[in-house]
Amino acid sequence: MSRIGKRLVIEASPMTWAERLETIECLQLFLAETYVHLTLKKSLYGFDILRALENLKQQSTLLNDIDFHREITTLMNRLRDAHTQYKGPWTKSGAIVSLPFLVEPYGPREKTEFVVSKIDPGSIKDKNFTDGVSITHWNGIPFVRALSMHADVETGGRFDSRRARAVESMTFRALEYAPPPNEEWVDVTYVDLARKQRTARFKWEDFDPGKAPYGSGNSVATRFARSINFGAEMVRRAKKRRFNHAKWMAEKRKLGKGGPRATSFEAFSDFITADIKMTTHGKFGYLRIWSFDVDDDEAFIEAVTQALKILPDRGLMIDIRNNPGGLIYAAERLLQLFTPNQVQPTKFALRSTPVIAEMARAQFNRDELGPWSSSLDSAQNTGEPFSSHLPITSVERCNDLGQRYGGPIVVVADANTYSSGDLFAAGVVDNAIGPLVCVGQATGAGGANVWTAENLVDALRPVRSMLPSLPIGVDFTMSVRRAVRAGASDGSLIEDVGVVGQAYDLTSTDVLNGNRDLIEHCASILAAQPLTKLLVNVRRQGVQVQTAGLDLLDVYVDGHPVAPSFRVIKDGKKMLKVKLRKGTILDVLGFSSGTLRQKRRLFI
Amino acid sequence: MALILSGQCVPCDTDDPKAVFRGRVFVSDTGLVEAVVKEGNASPVGFQSAPQMDVGESYIVPGLIDLHNHIGYNALPLWAEPTRKTPYAHHDSWPGAPSYQSSISWPANTLVETEPEALLAYVQLRALVGGTTAIQGWPNANRKFVQVLRNIDDGPDATGSSSLVLTSTLTLQPLELAKRAQAQKNGSGFIYHCGEGTSGSLVEREFINAANAGCLRKNFIGIHCNAVRADEWKRWAKDQAGAVVWSPFSNYWLYGSTTDIKAAQDQGVLVCIGSDWGPSGTKNVQAELKVAKLASARLGLGLSDFDLFKMVTTNPGDALQRSWNNSTGRLVAGALADITVIRAKSKAASNNAVWTHLVRSTEADIALVVVGGIGRYGDATLMQKQNVPSAKFKLKGKNFRFSIPNPQNQQKAWELSEFTGLLNAVIANPKAAITKAEGRMRAYAGRMDAPEAPLVLALDMPTGGADLAINLKKHADKIVVPPLASLMHDKAFFDSIKGRGFHDKLLDGLKGFYA
Repeated sequence: MSRIGKRLVIEASPMTWAERLETIECLQLFLAETYVHLTLKKSLYGFDILRALENLKQQSTLLNDIDFHREITTLMNRLRDAHTQYKGPWTKSGAIVSLPFLVEPYGPREKTEFVVSKIDPGSIKDKNFTDGVSITHWNGIPFVRALSMHADVETGGRFDSRRARAVESMTFRALEYAPPPNEEWVDVTYVDLARKQRTARFKWEDFDPGKAPYGSGNSVATRFARSINFGAEMVRRAKKRRFNHAKWMAEKRKLGKGGPRATSFEAFSDFITADIKMTTHGKFGYLRIWSFDVDDDEAFIEAVTQALKILPDRGLMIDIRNNPGGLIYAAERLLQLFTPNQVQPTKFALRSTPVIAEMARAQFNRDELGPWSSSLDSAQNTGEPFSSHLPITSVERCNDLGQRYGGPIVVVADANTYSSGDLFAAGVVDNAIGPLVCVGQATGAGGANVWTAENLVDALRPVRSMLPSLPIGVDFTMSVRRAVRAGASDGSLIEDVGVVGQAYDLTSTDVLNGNRDLIEHCASILAAQPLTKLLVNVRRQGVQVQTAGLDLLDVYVDGHPVAPSFRVIKDGKKMLKVKLRKGTILDVLGFSSGTLRQKRRLFI
Repeated sequence: MALILSGQCVPCDTDDPKAVFRGRVFVSDTGLVEAVVKEGNASPVGFQSAPQMDVGESYIVPGLIDLHNHIGYNALPLWAEPTRKTPYAHHDSWPGAPSYQSSISWPANTLVETEPEALLAYVQLRALVGGTTAIQGWPNANRKFVQVLRNIDDGPDATGSSSLVLTSTLTLQPLELAKRAQAQKNGSGFIYHCGEGTSGSLVEREFINAANAGCLRKNFIGIHCNAVRADEWKRWAKDQAGAVVWSPFSNYWLYGSTTDIKAAQDQGVLVCIGSDWGPSGTKNVQAELKVAKLASARLGLGLSDFDLFKMVTTNPGDALQRSWNNSTGRLVAGALADITVIRAKSKAASNNAVWTHLVRSTEADIALVVVGGIGRYGDATLMQKQNVPSAKFKLKGKNFRFSIPNPQNQQKAWELSEFTGLLNAVIANPKAAITKAEGRMRAYAGRMDAPEAPLVLALDMPTGGADLAINLKKHADKIVVPPLASLMHDKAFFDSIKGRGFHDKLLDGLKGFYA
């Protein structure tokens, strides 16, 4: 990427024809042997990526560098899988190109309106181009049509999820993962607030959104446990830098030298924000989880726990719209904070190929892949296309902390809720933790554990096979383990389908006035749910409990019942005579009419 | 680094395998033996400035080769399941024992995950103390680490190829065995744990599968094979006879019986010796020799001391040479300069007495250990004659030195107190060490094969249960890492043999060699 005068020119490092062949052959090899959705994508979309790459190989000497990379990116995106992406040797890594405004849709699917919801005033000269103007045309093409054309080269299994991503990438693109814009500038025709149609010209601008403080540094401790749309995470950061620049700068400053503790709520402010919402139904908590892209799930969960302490206990809205995913452990272990019941995580399988079987069998991969190994070996005999489906986050770790928030919850997702975001939404629905409200048909449908080329090389090195020789600067990410749901939807795929919730169409008030209608809607759902409460404190005399709406308590120490159930006659405080030693685990379970409603775990 | 050793040379040359003479061994800069010259004969050219070590009447012998180990477990003491009253049937029987995870998997994995470099230093020193120059059974690693012993799994450094020897501790599926056999046809050696159990038990099938796959060739090295009955040994054609690795201590400890050495020898199979691992083996191959001597006496095998000595030198050397293309296990021109010097105060009365002396020697008799031409362990006076950083080590009141580079600064020797200090800190507080190691992994985001990547080792023995990585953290409160097992055979070790295992007092006799 370079500038000629004020023009932004997208460039790729030059490649020899031999390097182009290496790139294609390497992708073919890994897609054929390790890509978990290969057969699914072929049958769903009728698209054979291996043949398409073979065809490109034949044409590869006829293209210039940028067209070659654009072509591969476009082919890979026809898999409609944001996990499986080609990274070309662009001359600048980590770059985002964007226009200085954000477009958001509202209204029902058949009559969607597109408004500018945010602008970067420093880059806009047209004073009439403000928040709230409606976009009608894009380079002279009706906006809906322009969007459909662009969506055709986007990822996303369903039409609505593809379009949701396209709305975002019309103005923001992570160059490492997405095809660069065709246009050097864009003529946007819009209707201003005085209902007058106007046209303004905008140039693409580039900048580096930087890594989130306490965000994933691609740590080797968690590298095999990620489920994320990497490009969307970069765009998330870019939007923050562009439209919330003061906060972006403040975080950067605060989290420098002498910043807050790594486990504090403040430290994770780029990932979670918490607020109290006053509604016509009462006062509720609002927790926005922007991303799960952290390296330390313990610290992340501790930060969420701190946030919950300052929120009302009457009910909680958890908003995961536009969450691009991240660390699987973080998303799945978080679920337990909101339910008294045992959490069942999603399960994952690898494709059964000789290379995958050998990789899983290697001693060096025993910790990561050992549990899948025997089923992959037997699949070689039986012809099963996949290994057994097993959790990446163990059931034990999904339940090691217990419930921390006792009120009802509602989760809000959309078609850009992806990957670990999908897993969190699936966990909420499949474990009956609370209702899911969904903007769009379903969540974004990224049902896989994603590995980078480097992760694959690390896992394949011990078996001394298939080590890729990618030209310098070329890279890729790939879905290696596919996710299936638990509970009532046990075994159902997430990829290309997503998690369906109660449908909700955003209103113009939502888009332009802080989701006001959406919050009211969620508040009505929360208000309709029963309320129970349980507070537990250890005192010298025993265990002090404070209850509301509960009629029975069970107390366990280190997994054993300490006495018959305690009957609760009325709400309020009560002292239970329980002897506790240091180092034990106390569990107090609260029931209402035979249903488990509350559970608290204390580590003494 | 060039080097000249003078003393009683025991080159084990094929032309005159029993020859013992006063002479000099010339080691070239490339880490190979340049020449072995009898006293009074001319020296090869180019050694004018090479350091000379005169070891007097001590024996300069081929370096001892331990062809069966699992070195990642060698900081652990002997293990015996307290509730077990009868010998185990085979290798899948004992990993399910009630105390296996807490006594072996947890502590071994805790050490390997928290202080892998220190652990490797400790277990390498343990092998050096017993005169070992090459050892099999290294944990897989993500990157290079400080390695002073020759790694048999990786082949000799001189070849630069890592595919010459294929190893497997775990039982392979038939198709996988067929692939190995194909690789063997193309020149790779294959070292395989095979048929480990009581004679005729279920796991004998592993040997038969190896035969059916086409693995039983000259470049096949079967570890244990103690479940294989005499008739089944005949599957291995005499003109394709390879090698078997005998670990009698471990066999008797777990199964109460051992490999049918006579049947193997009848087929022309080379018998080699391996000390196996800390939980059921001797501390080094020098001690395993003595157990082989005890077993030979009990079973009436009639093995001479010369026969036994070959099992840790020329036999494994010849077996490895079939895939390495480098001579080892013999001190001949062009061979790998892996040399052990065994102390002797005076000339032996007879040739037989030499072999008896060598077999009966103990750790205190090891005067020098040279790997690839570099002195790695030995008498302080000898070690200081070469320009290699080394650290002090005391054994039975004598001053020794060893040379294991400090991984943080490879120009410096790593002191014993430094790496044992790190390991003892883990032993004192395993939970804190596990947390610290996890933090180290979280903090690194680069390529795993880069030199600066945290070292990750994968142990090769059964875990005794699934989900180990998660278990380690989950059970951190319960994990107890025993004190470091001593580097040499001592009273505590001999005391721990008595009344344990299934050896019918055979192994009690080991103590007699160390009196």
